Amino acid sequence: MRLTRIFLLLIRASVKSRMQYRFNFWMSTLLASLVNMSEFLMVAVVLLRFGGVAGWSLYEVGYLYSVISLSRVVYRSLANDVHNLDRYLVSGDLDQLLLRPLPLLVALMSQNFRILLGETLQSGGILAYCLYKLTASGQIGWPAVPLTLWIVLNGAVILFAIGLATATIGFWMTKVEVLQTLTEDASRSAAQYPLTLYPGWLRGIFFFVIPVAFANYVPALYVLRHEYGLWLLAASAGVACLGLAAALAFWRAGAARYQSTGS
Amino acid sequence: MLFAVLVRKAYRVNLQYRSSHLIHNLASSLFGFMYIFIWMGIGRTHELEGYGVKGMVAYVGFTQAALWVTTFATFGLGIPERVRTGQIALDLMRPVSLFYQTAVREWGQVAYQFLYKTIPIYLIYFFVFSLPLPSRPWTYAGTLAALAIGAFLIICIQYLVGIVSLWTTESLWFHWLNYALSMLLSGFFVPVEWLPPWLRAVSLHSFYPYLQYHPVKIYLEQESATVLGGGLLWCALLAGASAGATVLARRRVEVQGG
Repeated sequence: MRLTRIFLLLIRASVKSRMQYRFNFWMSTLLASLVNMSEFLMVAVVLLRFGGVAGWSLYEVGYLYSVISLSRVVYRSLANDVHNLDRYLVSGDLDQLLLRPLPLLVALMSQNFRILLGETLQSGGILAYCLYKLTASGQIGWPAVPLTLWIVLNGAVILFAIGLATATIGFWMTKVEVLQTLTEDASRSAAQYPLTLYPGWLRGIFFFVIPVAFANYVPALYVLRHEYGLWLLAASAGVACLGLAAALAFWRAGAARYQSTGS
Repeated sequence: MLFAVLVRKAYRVNLQYRSSHLIHNLASSLFGFMYIFIWMGIGRTHELEGYGVKGMVAYVGFTQAALWVTTFATFGLGIPERVRTGQIALDLMRPVSLFYQTAVREWGQVAYQFLYKTIPIYLIYFFVFSLPLPSRPWTYAGTLAALAIGAFLIICIQYLVGIVSLWTTESLWFHWLNYALSMLLSGFFVPVEWLPPWLRAVSLHSFYPYLQYHPVKIYLEQESATVLGGGLLWCALLAGASAGATVLARRRVEVQGG
């Protein structure tokens, strides 16, 4: 409880410091939406041209895209500097965080809280539109809305676990940019499309090694296409919990062997 | 003379990290594999008009390799960092235009990336997917010319992105905006003719197709090198804009700290 209070306090301070540069905030919000929009258009163009892929309609793929984008927004808002841990390792700035009377991870997560307004509005808009279209056609009912919110949060935990585990490797390798490209960027881009597009071995990676499949594809199979059963959501939650526990244990092992740059 | 020296130096700086870059190549090629699998997946149920599955694999293989020459240039050609440290004041004092010095340095980087990124990455796709090679010798010359034009264009664009940092601290966002637009409009991943009409019109009225689309079409022998005339026109326009921005930048410079 005390930790949550401190975390919220630090986040408020972080937001306040960011809002000192109002123009920069609005400018970055606007440009971030444009960047995101163009990323989505790249997916949409393919769908419009071919009227869906691998048996998934435009709105279904829009759902996959926006759900994982929103999960990323939650993860990157709350834990931006977990993704940037290697900067702290290279500069030795992690020493300062270690001196604080807080768990290292909480101290790191409260640094540079970002309000990703542009991304939220853009992905949220697409999600709302896709849900509306899918409901109007009778494919899904209103329970899909609360379930989707749950899926977004569950996905955020999965993406956080993946991000944390990747960043932790930095305690051994220092620079993890290349790895992050693979585990965070490439896998998330891949998960914007139905996973049946990919060959079996790659699909296996997205299920068992970098489990992005459980962030959007697996839950969508139940919510949108009524396949298998409600247990798919339970399985996704199980993967999120297991992933988080494993990533936290790995983080503790990594942080224990941290050596400063000594500069 | 100065041109050759600066290009050589920039090339040598990069050479120090070549083994790390070669490992990086394996990672970046995986991104391309993903795009290729997407097209293979779509090709199972749809006809990929004008290309076929093999053609699209060759298309993505080439654009993924060409990215390193015509898209992934240094953010702002390093100018934002120089503005932050105050080094820009010294750069502007030099008896050579800022555009010339930064552009020439980038050419060294482009040469390095062509040899140590574009070619190895292309070779990976070439062997994994048994990609076809162009049959006409002229195609190679045309492709190299197209890549050189693309590289010149991206250098000008990054210069303009960089020089904006003299007036605002947000130049990074222009970099991201350019990156996003180039992903969509340059024909990387989706050929320009498959874009919806309004987006196709935007693309064809911009310089973006000269970064990826025209080079790959020339390489696949689906277009003749004469289309590069338009690219040269864009080169002249953007070089003019860059020169103009340099004149503006020299008028008054405020450097923080120091």
